[in-house]
Order: sequence, then C-alpha cells, then structure tokens
Amino acid sequence: MMRRVAIGVVLMMCASALGCGAAPEYAKSAGAAAPSQPMAEMAPGAPPPSPPVSGSGGGGGGQSDRDGDGIPDKSDRLAANDVAAAKVVPDSPHSAAMLVYTASLGMAVYQVEPGLDGVQKVARDMGGYLSSRQDTSITVRVPRDRFDDAVARIEKLGDVTHRDIKAQDVTDEFVDIQARLKNAYNIRDKLADLLSRAAVKEALDIERELGRVTEEIERMEGRLKLLRDQIAFSTITVNFTALAAQTVHDTTLLAPFPWLQELGLGMLLDVH
Amino acid sequence: MHTPLIRTLLLALPLLAMGCHTFEINTAPGLVALDDQEHYEYRAIAPEGVVVGVKVVDIGQKGDLAFWARATTLRIRQLEGYAMLGADDVKTSDGTVGRELRFGHDEGGKPYLYTLRVFVKHKGWPSKSSRLFLVETGGPKDEVARYQQALDWMQSSLALD
Repeated sequence: MMRRVAIGVVLMMCASALGCGAAPEYAKSAGAAAPSQPMAEMAPGAPPPSPPVSGSGGGGGGQSDRDGDGIPDKSDRLAANDVAAAKVVPDSPHSAAMLVYTASLGMAVYQVEPGLDGVQKVARDMGGYLSSRQDTSITVRVPRDRFDDAVARIEKLGDVTHRDIKAQDVTDEFVDIQARLKNAYNIRDKLADLLSRAAVKEALDIERELGRVTEEIERMEGRLKLLRDQIAFSTITVNFTALAAQTVHDTTLLAPFPWLQELGLGMLLDVH
Repeated sequence: MHTPLIRTLLLALPLLAMGCHTFEINTAPGLVALDDQEHYEYRAIAPEGVVVGVKVVDIGQKGDLAFWARATTLRIRQLEGYAMLGADDVKTSDGTVGRELRFGHDEGGKPYLYTLRVFVKHKGWPSKSSRLFLVETGGPKDEVARYQQALDWMQSSLALD
C-alpha cells in the first residue's frame, strides 16, 4: 500500500516537474554556470559540424548505456557536462551571453552565379560550410568568431541593397532547457529505479510515464543541440538580384550615322 | 528700301544652288542613269547588273576624310562576307582628294566586287559645314571587269561643287 502511494507521488512529481517550464531551485542554481558551457563549441579551432546541424556535449547521442535500459549512464552524462564546462573560453565581449548571430543580405550583382560561388568560398575560407543554395540565394554557416569577417568579405561581392544583422540572446532559453533537462534526467533515473522494483500492474504505469519523460528529454536535448549549433555557427543568408544587363552597343556601328548601314552591295544592287 | 532684300536674295541664291546641285558625274555608254532613286542622289545601271551610285551626306563639321574612310571601312567589314582587297588615295576631276576602298564579296557562290570612294568637301563660304560624298560601284566580278573602263571614266568625270 505504502509503495503504491510512493509510486503515485513520484508520477505526480514527474508530471508537474516536466509540465511546467519553471526549473526547480537547484536547477536554477546549476544553470547559473551554464551560459559558459556552450562556449566550448565556440572555441577557435573547433571542427566544423557535419551539416545540417552539429554540436557536441550534453546531447544523448554520444552517451553510453552500459546497463541496457535505454538511459544514458549517469556517469557519462556527468562526464559530458564536465568536459563541456572545462572548455569554457570567455574570449569575446559576448561571452557572458549566448548569442545567435544571423545575417540576411540582399545584393545586386551583374552575374548571380559568381556571387553564389563567392559566398560559398568565403564560408569555406572561414572554416564554415554551405547550408543551402538555390538559383539566386545561398545560406552558409560560419564559426561565430569569424562572423564579422565573413559578412565584411561577402559585402564586397556586390552592391548591398539590404542588410539585416541580428544577435538573438538565447541565454534564458538555454538555461531553462538545461535545468529542465537535468530535472528530467533525475526523474527518469527514479522511474527506472521504481520500474526495476515494481509489480506488473504498476510497471505499466511507470513505463508509460518513463516513455513520456524520455520523449521529453529527447526533445529538450535536440533543442539544446540546435541552440549550441546556432551559437557556435552563425548563419548568413544572401539573396542576389541580377541587375538588368546593360546593352552595350557596338561603337563601330556608328549608330548616330544611320546612312552608314545603307552601304554595301545589298542596297546598291537593289534597283527598282 | 529694297537694298536689304536684294542683298538677302543674292546671298541665298548660291546656297539654294548648292543644295540642289552638289556634284556632277557623266554616265558612261552602256549604263543608264535612273530617276527618283530613294537612297541615292545618282544611280546608273548596266544591263549586266553593274551599278554606280552616289550618295551625299551633310556631315556638318563632323569628321574629316580619315575619319569617314575609317568609319566606312569598319562598317563594310561588319557586313558579313566582305573582304577588303585594297585601298588607295584617289582624286576627283576638281582635285578633291578621297579614298578608294575595294572589297570582294561572294553571294550564292558567285564573286562580286564592291568599290567605295569617300570624299569630304567643304561647302564653301559662308558655310562652315562639309559634305561627304560616297561613290559606290559594284556588281558581279566578271561584269565589273568588263565595265572597268567605263567605270573608271565615270569616276574620273566626277566633280564636286
């Protein structure tokens, strides 16, 4: 009887903890140090990610599951966090905040194709990569610390008609997700522990809840991974507009003297 | 009272005369001059298709002989299938120096010759303008050769006013 009550209480806690966005106090205090964590990916020399998204660290992809319960081992999670924390590099004025830089440029050029190639080359030179390329637009990703240089170089490729550069602070969202994720890990561990000791009837409820928590964890991990990638690699989108080609008349035609075009055998022999 | 009017008329007469009569050319035997030619001030034709045409263009104060000889050369070269065969300095019977440009042209596998003579002649006082005279001769190569003497005679008879 007491056991059922305990399980019920745990399940209710899970629901309330995951349902609301507010992180528990301990999570918030843990999150106070979190802003610097993703900076690990911003360190110069970090390898370019494999497109379309990249990042490393707290995601579940690289964690081991030695006990085979589908849950990354606690020691791995901690190790991943420790490694990430150790990589903190407060190397820029923005280090205190997690900023996602995006630039949207409109450029007028005479030839679009060389413009597209030029942007792609800039991204490559800067250690970035191509994200997408269409007929007249291109999106590239460059390491955050090369963002300004990349934009400056791209702007030299044509006549800039539109410029929209944004720095979005995602610190709050990042810290919040990180705290909720940590909470969710704890709940999952507890549920797994309960599941190992539960009776069949109770096990069904626990498994259902475990599945929901796991799904929530994966969603949050995915979001964190995406944020890390967006912070580490800035996105630059360039839309090219082809300038109307100016027709340069052949000056040897001597257009101001139309009678010149009446010379030749064609006109001379056309007797009527 | 009438003095200013008479003076004006006297000044206008030479101008009127220049406007309607700017050159003279004799038509050689074997050719006939055509009337009412749209693009030519003068055109004569032989039955075998050899044609002589004269155009007069008022060029104001624009360009000299070198300029127009070069411009016409480039223009003819732009026409596909013309090959320049040669160029020489020439003179009209009144002593105006000009430039002769000779071109070959193949039409439907048949060779043609085309000669263009360019002259620039000042209109004379009180005008500051000049006229450009373009004398064209052309036709099937063999026929032009047969008519060459007649053509040369016509060219040498040309006098610019």
